[in-house]
Amino acid sequence: MSQEQPIHPADATEDHLHLVEWYFQQGWTDGLPVMPPTPETVAAMVDALGGDREHLEARVPPRWGNLTREVLAVNMVLAGCKPAYAPVVRAAMLALCSSHFNLNGVQATTHMAAPLLVVNGPVRSEIGLNAGANVFGSGSRANATIGRAIRLVLLNVGGAWPGDLDKSTLGHPGKYTFCIAEHEEASPWAPYHVEQGYRPEDSTVFCIATEGPHSVTNHVSDDPQGVLDSLVSAMSTIAHNNAVNSGSCVVVIGPEHAATIAGRGWNRSDVRRYLWSHTTNTYDDISYQGRYGTIYNRNLPKWYRRESGARIPIVPSPDDIHLFVAGGDAGRFSAFLPGWGHMTSPVLRAVNGQAPDGREKCVDGTCEL
Amino acid sequence: MSTQSTLPSGQIVFDPRGTVTSETVALAPRIETLSGARIGVLDNSKWNASKLLRATIARLQSESPPSAVTQYTKESFSRVASAALLDRIAAENDVVITAIGD
Repeated sequence: MSQEQPIHPADATEDHLHLVEWYFQQGWTDGLPVMPPTPETVAAMVDALGGDREHLEARVPPRWGNLTREVLAVNMVLAGCKPAYAPVVRAAMLALCSSHFNLNGVQATTHMAAPLLVVNGPVRSEIGLNAGANVFGSGSRANATIGRAIRLVLLNVGGAWPGDLDKSTLGHPGKYTFCIAEHEEASPWAPYHVEQGYRPEDSTVFCIATEGPHSVTNHVSDDPQGVLDSLVSAMSTIAHNNAVNSGSCVVVIGPEHAATIAGRGWNRSDVRRYLWSHTTNTYDDISYQGRYGTIYNRNLPKWYRRESGARIPIVPSPDDIHLFVAGGDAGRFSAFLPGWGHMTSPVLRAVNGQAPDGREKCVDGTCEL
Repeated sequence: MSTQSTLPSGQIVFDPRGTVTSETVALAPRIETLSGARIGVLDNSKWNASKLLRATIARLQSESPPSAVTQYTKESFSRVASAALLDRIAAENDVVITAIGD
């Protein structure tokens, strides 16, 4: 049966329901019903992944299961993906399995972080990824099932079963699915991947381990500083991992906020530099006011001043704030997503695997950021 | 290896887990005594790991004094130690102690 054909009610037999239950019984789902694969749907997905079903794409930690194209195809069908999503899912899995990302740690940590995917370029509209209203929410098959396919691979092949190899104390809802796209058409700036040296006509997948999004509201300010100061307020806290473990983070600017900021001539770099300059905690705060003795904190860069009153950035440089424009046309909201920390590096990969000429820190088409 | 199999009912199902390729590696022979041994101490850089290691070494110094204690630190507690660091530790020590502590 083709993926495009609707299931006729006559096909929804007890056998079909039985298979859904069978996959539950095996423990091979994320807790939601899966789409039972057939030889035809798996074969179509393998073809979309490039054929050669035995081809080993990666080994997925911490179980280090072999991710062949057939295994990836099975998980994509289980997730409800269309074959057209295959290049994005494949690129994301290759990026996640590059050593820079440290998927082994991301999967096993007690922290709540989960891999977030942000897609740029023409592939977004080609496969119907939502970059607009409710971008982090439900309603789009491409976003939902691409993110779900990644999670099913992390569970089934990577073995990150909660409480077993995934030791996360709390987890977060992005561990079901966590895939968005940049709203390039609503952005006043060049797309993220162009800022990173790719061409506008390239399609890329950015992967970073983050918490869920924290809403940043500002319905008052009509200038960049005012809008960004609300973001600074959300980011300047000792509660997230960046404050004590450094690393990198994500800021998603809503289209209305982006228009206000860009309307005064500010570009992406200005925004990141402003956020970095003003997003700080005091050394006293991150040292718990000395209540538990002297804390040096070796997980922060050596060059921070470890003395009372010193302002400590949450990430080492403006480049460690990964900035995207996404969301609906209406609403003066943005979002901040703290990262896991220095234990992981975000990665960026072109859907076709071609890194830009001359770009450093790229291995087999995946670039460390 | 195919992921496909057939249930007794005749229904076709697929295993999404992928195989695991593993290699059996024998453990190093157990050292007879810690006295006089060269002890490597691998600090994984977590907050309390170094405290635990310091206490352990202090106890070893009094109970079974080693001939040498050498400290090493991983760049990141979560990342795999570099191959060069592991080779150096293996070459310079008889026993390695490590710890984890948030």
